Parts: sequence; C-alpha cells; structure tokens
Amino acid sequence: MDKNAISRKTFLELVAATASAGVLAGCGSTRAGSSSASGSGDGTYADTITFSQGSEPRGLDPAFVDDGESGKVMVQIYENILQYDTDTCDVVEGLCGLPEVSDDGLTYTFKVKDGIKFHDGNTCDAEAIAKNIQRQLEPDRTEDMPYASFNFGSIESGTGVESVEATDSSTLVFKLRAASTPFLANLAMCMSSPIVSPAAFDTAMENPVGTGQYKFVSWTKNSNIVLKRNEDYWNADKAGKTENIIFTFIAEAASRVTALNNGEADIIDGIDEAVVDTVEQGGSKIFTMDGMNINYMAFNTQSEKFKDKAARKAFAKAVNVQELVDSLYNGYSSVANSVMPTWMAAYDKDVVQTAYDKDAAQKELADLGITSVKCITYSNPRPYNGKGGQVLAEAIQGYLKEVGVDVTIDTYDWTTYKTKVETEEYDICFYGWNGDNGDPDNFMNLLSDPSKTMNVARYQNDEYDALIAKGLQTAAGSERDDIYLQCEQIVAEEQPWLLISHSKNILGYSPKVSDFHFHPTAVTFLYDAVKEA
Amino acid sequence: MVKYIVKRVLQAIPVLIALSIVVFLIMRVFSADPAPVVLGEHATREAMDAWRDSNGLNDPIWKQYLDFVAGALHGDLGTSYYTHTAVTTEIMSRFPATLELAIVAIIIASVVGIALGVVSSVNKGKFVDALSTLLALIGVSMPIFWLGILFIILFTGILHILPSGGRIDPIMQPVGGTGLFLIDTLLSGDFEAFGNALVHMIMPACALSMYSMAIITRMTRSSMLDTLNEDYVRTARAKGLPSGKVTTHHALRNAMLPVSTVIGLQLGSLLGGALLTETVFAWPGIGKYVVECILKSDFPVVQGVVLLIGVIFVLINLVVDIIYAFLDPRIKYTQAEG
Amino acid sequence: MSMSENTANAAAVKEAVEKKESLWKDVWYSLSHNAAAMVSLAFIALLVVIAVVTALFPSILPYDPYAQDLSQSFATPSAAHIFGCDQQGRDMFSRILVGTQITLAVGLLSVAISLTVGVALGAVAGYKGGAVDTLIMRAMDVMLAVPSILLAITFMAALGKGIDKAVVAIGLVSIPEYARIVRSQILAVKESDYVAAARVIGDSDAKIIIRHILPNVMPSIIVRATLGISSAILDCAALGFLGLGVQPPAAEWGDMLGRGRNYIFSAPHAMFFPGMMITLTVLAFNLLGDGVRDALDPKSRKR
Repeated sequence: MDKNAISRKTFLELVAATASAGVLAGCGSTRAGSSSASGSGDGTYADTITFSQGSEPRGLDPAFVDDGESGKVMVQIYENILQYDTDTCDVVEGLCGLPEVSDDGLTYTFKVKDGIKFHDGNTCDAEAIAKNIQRQLEPDRTEDMPYASFNFGSIESGTGVESVEATDSSTLVFKLRAASTPFLANLAMCMSSPIVSPAAFDTAMENPVGTGQYKFVSWTKNSNIVLKRNEDYWNADKAGKTENIIFTFIAEAASRVTALNNGEADIIDGIDEAVVDTVEQGGSKIFTMDGMNINYMAFNTQSEKFKDKAARKAFAKAVNVQELVDSLYNGYSSVANSVMPTWMAAYDKDVVQTAYDKDAAQKELADLGITSVKCITYSNPRPYNGKGGQVLAEAIQGYLKEVGVDVTIDTYDWTTYKTKVETEEYDICFYGWNGDNGDPDNFMNLLSDPSKTMNVARYQNDEYDALIAKGLQTAAGSERDDIYLQCEQIVAEEQPWLLISHSKNILGYSPKVSDFHFHPTAVTFLYDAVKEA
Repeated sequence: MVKYIVKRVLQAIPVLIALSIVVFLIMRVFSADPAPVVLGEHATREAMDAWRDSNGLNDPIWKQYLDFVAGALHGDLGTSYYTHTAVTTEIMSRFPATLELAIVAIIIASVVGIALGVVSSVNKGKFVDALSTLLALIGVSMPIFWLGILFIILFTGILHILPSGGRIDPIMQPVGGTGLFLIDTLLSGDFEAFGNALVHMIMPACALSMYSMAIITRMTRSSMLDTLNEDYVRTARAKGLPSGKVTTHHALRNAMLPVSTVIGLQLGSLLGGALLTETVFAWPGIGKYVVECILKSDFPVVQGVVLLIGVIFVLINLVVDIIYAFLDPRIKYTQAEG
Repeated sequence: MSMSENTANAAAVKEAVEKKESLWKDVWYSLSHNAAAMVSLAFIALLVVIAVVTALFPSILPYDPYAQDLSQSFATPSAAHIFGCDQQGRDMFSRILVGTQITLAVGLLSVAISLTVGVALGAVAGYKGGAVDTLIMRAMDVMLAVPSILLAITFMAALGKGIDKAVVAIGLVSIPEYARIVRSQILAVKESDYVAAARVIGDSDAKIIIRHILPNVMPSIIVRATLGISSAILDCAALGFLGLGVQPPAAEWGDMLGRGRNYIFSAPHAMFFPGMMITLTVLAFNLLGDGVRDALDPKSRKR
C-alpha cells in the first residue's frame, strides 16, 4: 500500500457518512394531502374520491395536449367561455353568457361574468380570456399546439377565428373568417378552449391554474394527481362537494378492476367488456352510457388491391360484424349501421351496410385474385374500442382465413401508429373516432380531410367534399341534417370504411359513490360527486 | 489504492462513451420519425419539417451526436417528446421509487438468501437442503411477471390483504424529502403513512427479490461448503468447538466475501427486473416509465434512462471492485483487472 | 458470473486436458445418476418431439391453433378444450403445443448466435491480447452495462416485432457472457505446454484456436449454453408479455400470457397455462445445466 493510501477504516467511515447524509436530507417532508381535515358539510361523506384511469395525462395545459387522459383531469380544473350541458353536447353559459351573433355570422360578442377569479387570485376578465385564444392564433401559434388549427382555423384554409379582442374588461369580440356552425361547440371543448390563468402560461403543463371547482395540488409522475376543492369557487350551484379528488394511473385494465374492488379506487374507466362480471362480483357497480364514437376498419382506397369498390365490398362480405361485435364487446357495443351513433341527429336507419355473405366473399375475392392483405393496427384500448386494435384485427384475420385470404398484422403503440398510417403502404387499417363536440361535421369530415392521419382510407371524392363544405356553413336544422344523410349514404355505397361498432362508455364505481357526471365527450365531471364515509 | 481507484475510474469512461454512442444510434437511426408524435395528429407536413429543423433532426448524424453529448455533460438530456418536460426532471421524479424498491428487494434477497444458503450448507444432503435448492431453482425459473400476477390474484383478489399496486395511498404521500417514502414517513413521524408505504412495498419487493435471492442462496451454499471443507474449519471442529460457533465465527465470515460481491452485482441486475416488476405492480419508477416511453417512441427519455442505468451499473461494478479489493487481503489491486 | 464458478470451470478444464477420452463417459455416468437432470432431459426431449411433430403433422393437434371461434371466447377448461380457449375462442392446448416450436427455436437459435459470436470474439480477444483484447472486451463491457432485457426491448422497439428479430435481439444481448468465459478460459490454457508445442510446430493461430484451445473450453461453454437457453426463453417470454414478441396469429407463450393478463379474474386459465409452461421449461433447462455442471466439476463428483 502506498503512502497516500486510504486506510480501510477511513474508507468505511466515509461510506457510512455519505449514506447518513442522504438520510438526513429527508427531514421536513410533509404529506401531499391532509386526511385529518373534516369532510364536506355534515361529515357523513368521505373527504376524498379517487378516479383511476389507464394512463397519465400528457400535460395539463389545454393548448398543448390532445389526449383524453389529460381532458379528464383538466375539466375539473378549468372552465370554458361556454360549457356543454351536464350530459349532452348542447352548449350553455360558461365563463360568459351566450353571445350576440352578427347577421353575417362573422362577429360574436360575449359578456364575461363578474367576479370570477383564477386559483392564483388573478381576475378572469375579457383580457385574460382573449390572451388564451390569441396565443393559439397565427402568428403566435406554435407547432406543438395540436388542436389550435382544429378549433380556431387557419389563414391558409380561410376558416376559423381571424381575431379576438377584449373591447373592455367584460366584453369579448370574436371575428371569424367564414361562418361556422360548429364554432360555439368548439369553444366548449376540453382541448384547446379551456381558459388558463395568463400568469401560468409558461408552467400550466405541470402546474395548471384555472377557475374551476378544483385546484391543482401535486402531480407524482407515473402515479397520481391530487386536486383540492376551490373554496372560492364563483358559482355556488356547481361548487365542489368533496374536498379532495385524486386521479391515479394504472395501466392494466385488470389492475384497475382489482384496485376498485379492493377499495383503492372509487371510480375507474377504460373497462374491457370481458371484465364487467369481475367488477360486479367484486361488489362494485357498472355505469354505462351510449358513446359518441365510431369504431371502424378503413380500406386504403389508393392501394392496388382496394382502389375499386368491388374489392372493398367483397372483403366486407367476409366479416360477420354482428358476431364479431357480440362476442368481442359482450353487449357493450352495438353494430354500427352508420358513421354517426344512433342517438345523434343525422342518423338514418335506412342506410344499409354490406351484409355478411361468406360464400360470395370467397368467390369474389378469388376472382379478384386477392389472397393476401397487409394490415396495420394499434395496440392500446381506445374509447371506441376497449379491446384495443390488435384483438379486433386478429378477429378480422380469423374471418379472412376462412375465405382463403392471409392477413398480416403489424401492431404499433397508438402514438407511433399515427405516424404509420401516414407513411406505410397498408391495404387495410383500424381506426376510430370519439366525437369532440357533438357536431355531425366532426364525424363526417374525416373522409374529406386532406391529412392522411385523419383520413386513413385516403378517400377522395369531390361530391363528398362539396357536401362537407356546404354542411359547415349551413345553419343547424333539417337542411343540414339532410346533407349529412347524403354523406352517410355515400359511405355505405362506396365502402371506404367497414363500419364495426359504436361503443358504450363504461365506468366501474364503488356503490358508496354517487352523483358523478359522465359526459358523451368521454370526460367525467366530479364536482357533484360524493362518497359515503 | 488511490492509483487502483483512479485506474478503474478511467477504465469506466470509454465504456460510458461507447454506451452513449450505441444508445444514440439505436434511438436515432433505427427508430420512427418523432415529429408526428410530438406535434399530434393535426400537424401539417410543413410544421413537421420546421420542427425537425429547429430540433436539429435534419443535421448530419455526427453533429446530432455531438450536440447530444454536449447537452448530456451539462446535465441536459433533452426534452421529452411527449410531455415537453426536461428528461432529467422526468427521470429524477421517478428514480427514488425504483431505488427504494431495489434496496428493499436486495435486503430481502440477502437476508433470506444467506439464511437459506447457510441452513442448507450445514444440512447438506438433508431435506432442508433439497427444499431450499428447489426454492432457489424455482426462483430463477419463474418469469417475474407471472409470479407478480399470481401474487396479485392471491393476496389482493382472493385474500384482500395487500394493495394491488402503487407506492402509497396518494393522500398520505410525503412531499419533499428524499423521495424514499419509507424513510420520509419515518422521519416525519407519520407512522400511518409508513405502514401504508410498507404494505404497498411487500408484493413488488418480494417478486423482484426472488431471482436475486435464488442466486444468493446458491452462492452462499457453495461458498459455505467450500469453507467448511477448509483445513482451519476442520481444525476448529477437531479442537472440539461447538459446530454452531464454527459455522458462524469461522466459516460464515470467510464465505461472505464472494457472496458480498454477488450481492453488489445483483443490485445492478435488479434494475432489469424492475422493468417488468414495476409494470405489473403499477410501481411509479423508471422501469415502468422506460417501457412506456419505448412503446411511445419517446427517444430522448429512453436515451436518458438507458444512459442512467448504464452509469449506475458501471458505478456499482466500480464500487464492488474497490470494496472487494479492500476486504480481500489476497487481491493485489495494483495488478487487478476489470 | 461468479469467481468460484470460473475457478471451478478452470479446474474442470485442466482435468479435461488430462483425461480427454474418459471425460464424456464420466460425465454421462454422473449425469445419469442425477434424477432431477434426467427428468429434465426427458421433459426437454418431450418438448422437442412435440415441436417437431406439430411442425411436420399439424393435423395431429386437437384443433387448428389459429382458427377462431368467437362463440367459444374465453371458454373455461373442459373435456373438449382441456386448457380452455383464449379471447378469440382458439384452443389453448393446441396453441401451447405449437408454442413449443417458437420457444425452443428462440432458445436454441439465439444461443447459437451468442455462442458463435461470443466464442469467436472471446477466443480472438484471449488469444491475441493487447489492443484487440482491450477493444473487444470494452465493447463487451458496454453491452454488459445495461440489463439485457432493457437492451433487448430497445432493439425490438427499434426493429419492430417478429420472431426473427426477437432471436437476433436476445442473441445479441448475451454475446458478452460467452466472450468473457471463453477469454478467461483461453488465458488459462494459452500458456500450456501443448499450445506452446503447436506453436513451435508452426500451426497458424486459427488452427491453434480451433484445434487445440476450443475443445478444451467446450465443457464450460456447454454448461453456460444450457443455462443460456433458459434465460433466452425467459427473455423471449418477457418480450412477448410486453407485446413486443411475435406477429399474430403466431402462438408464443409469453405473448399468450400477456394477452391473458387483463382477464386474470374472469379467465385465469388464459394466463395460467402459458406461465406454467414457461416455468417448467426454464426449470428443466436449469436443472439440466446444473446437472451437467456438477457432472463436469471434479470436486462435486468426488463428494
């Protein structure tokens, strides 16, 4: 050992000292929430409700996210200029009253309600609201605002909001580039439109500040978000009833069910139809509501195999959609006979989809020389397909095997998948849509969208596009409904999609919990919810 | 000694550089285009191209690598494509969870493993020996994720005595402090929260410890058998010392040297097991996180986590070697090799 | 890799040099008296037979493992379907039987990759020494610096799904283990008299390695490879479990387990049987590997 050697004893002492320094740094920590605080009102209710969902929000600033997981948390924290009614997509007052609209449909004037404050104490006036919209308009709009052009249009397309201004502290004036029937509904959406305190613009992804019933407390990554009731909420009728709301993130559907039955969660969503029995046997309850969605398979209408509608129809005949939906979704989805779900206005029961006919399919596909098909799909469960795209694709693979066609399946995570639908040369792919705002345009324009990630059938039809453009500017009513009916008929006749199902939204909840409001846009409002102690 | 330590540290550096290149190449060259992931489904082609430009993804690959390394040296591993948050922030907020799980698991594995190993070596060839050997074999043979699921079915689904996942009841969660909940809750005197964190720890820690426990059991057993056959132990026995004392005082102490090395190395390999354990038990650590990020193509995070785990691995090996050199008088560290 | 294991292996090699001819006879004798190893060997043989027969004569299976019958979705085990059915109503028993093909193929092929590349690299590093040695072994250190499953997942995520890619990913990540063993063994025998003699005669390096050195390191390689198959099977199952393994409708045990995991209470059979088969198979290779090691270890044979 040379002279400057550390002796064995010194070395061990050093190790011990380092270790204890780390331990001492832990002093002074506190709990995220306080369970000792009294519950709400008379004390018969629990002070905390836990909502468990499949994955973590992407972030909590509505301008920068596009995922439902974020939406479910954000609706507790933020409010919009206008809101949807409790369980429909009818638009009602929000931070502002209903607007005055100019005759040409291009100018909207809103009155902001008095006395509304953000959680940080700043006043929510017309100026603050205008800033929220302005940051999402060109040229301030940045590339990572996924819903900005959808909600507020763009210069290039000549649609959407040209300007928004606060003419005084309580007056907000929007000028549009073109009349738009869905505009007001867009203002109530849980993406892009919720109003954030301007002081929090730089930090709201991690530290949201809104005007809503619940204030943000903490976010433990991969684990949970804790919210606390906003005691200064402006609208006594809709104030939060339970003191703490906790969102936990449990990826596996089975683990969420276990957590619910074990009392670790009070409400869970993203339930696979096959585990409904497990939920009920565990003493928990099931809530269902018709969803505002469509689950479909798209043909690549620009591929060699499926550029003709005859081939698309032949393929469609091979699939027993009724049996598929019944067995995969256990009665929690209904066969889709139209793009829009049954309860939405423009639905028409006279639209007829291609019927199952195995023998005809076998013959026609053989005549066309189609023996193999390349399919891509997604792995994650989606609101319109609780099983995930792979199971669905494999079921289709099973049907096509029976008529002598080999289907090869490539499965990708949803985020990756969205890039693949643009870059891959597939023959068929799986997709779906959950409505954002209850407007038929929100569904039917998918087949006229120039973007390959929206229009995965790569369908192009001038007649259809003209109908969509006309529908956008036509005022709501039977004339507009008729336009979308024609669209439905074109979809059935041309078969760019093989329609599969409309899924019900399913929540599992503890029998002690009541009064949560599930909304068709697939978010759950929790301000009214209470749980027996 | 100092020379030896310096030499070992210097040896670790090229390993880390090469690791950063490998990680970088896998993630940048072979993987899908991140632009649509970042910009969402409504992004235009032009917007994506502009984004690639502003993020340097259109630069030559060597320049991208140098930028990456320059950033990494300043503690900047880039920004998560998915959450827009700094990768270091994302990793550090999850790392304590993994560290705590790994430490508890290695403690369980060491205590139980050494005990089983000693008992079976002393009773070599008897029933207990066969039983613990069998246990050890099952430990290395069972997929950790299957074991974890069986645990959940039994202890949560049927017996309802343990929570199915998570680290602690969120409402009791300590804020600030070390991030190691068992320590934070104890220091703040919150015993209810400590108990809650402890019951959440039981299943994941046991599942994760199983493989290491098996390795430590086998190592202890064979190392004990070797020392029990050494002359000095036989002499001690011949002198009439009680066999229990011989076992603990003479044999165990000498048998522990190789075992301690194995324990050190297992701490590193637990990080691999943590990937699957955390996924099964919804444990909010970096293992579960990196699996999610790989599936989501969030490359900067994957790069960061793989680098971090690599650095930890290399450091553990370094520390184990140095401790070994200190403890084992037979090793002449001036000649020791890595 | 533990130190005493290496010492034991080195001792085994030394002895192997001395009595080359009688070694394998001794090993077999010792192995055949190890009940656990023999049962494992029988089980593995059975798996091989199942894999080969189901590949050559698929009609022998009770059901077409790929044919769906949605009316039988998650059917519980019964006389008709002894392991029950999966979500698509496919017979689990038939799928488990067919799954042996993939499991054994991945186990053997990936070990073949890591063995070939690892032995070559280790042999060159150990024999050449110097800069070549440093370069190769530092590269191996890099791969060892990351848990193999993390490395394999990263490869799979970059390459995409598929059994061929899984074989490559799993094969790549265990190269360093073989390289290290072979290198240390070669360092031990390189200076021995017969290698020196070969050199004097003027044999080429490659010839010396292949003719004289490799045969002597074979025993420890065989032990490692047997145990390596079991860890390759575990890694493959883990990839399948995470959904990164095979292309549908291929039947792979880890993939089947992963699919069953969301239905652990409503259809526990869907995850139980695949998990059981993985465990038994891995256990069998571990027991066999242990048996071979004990048989090769002179200390253990004497005891």
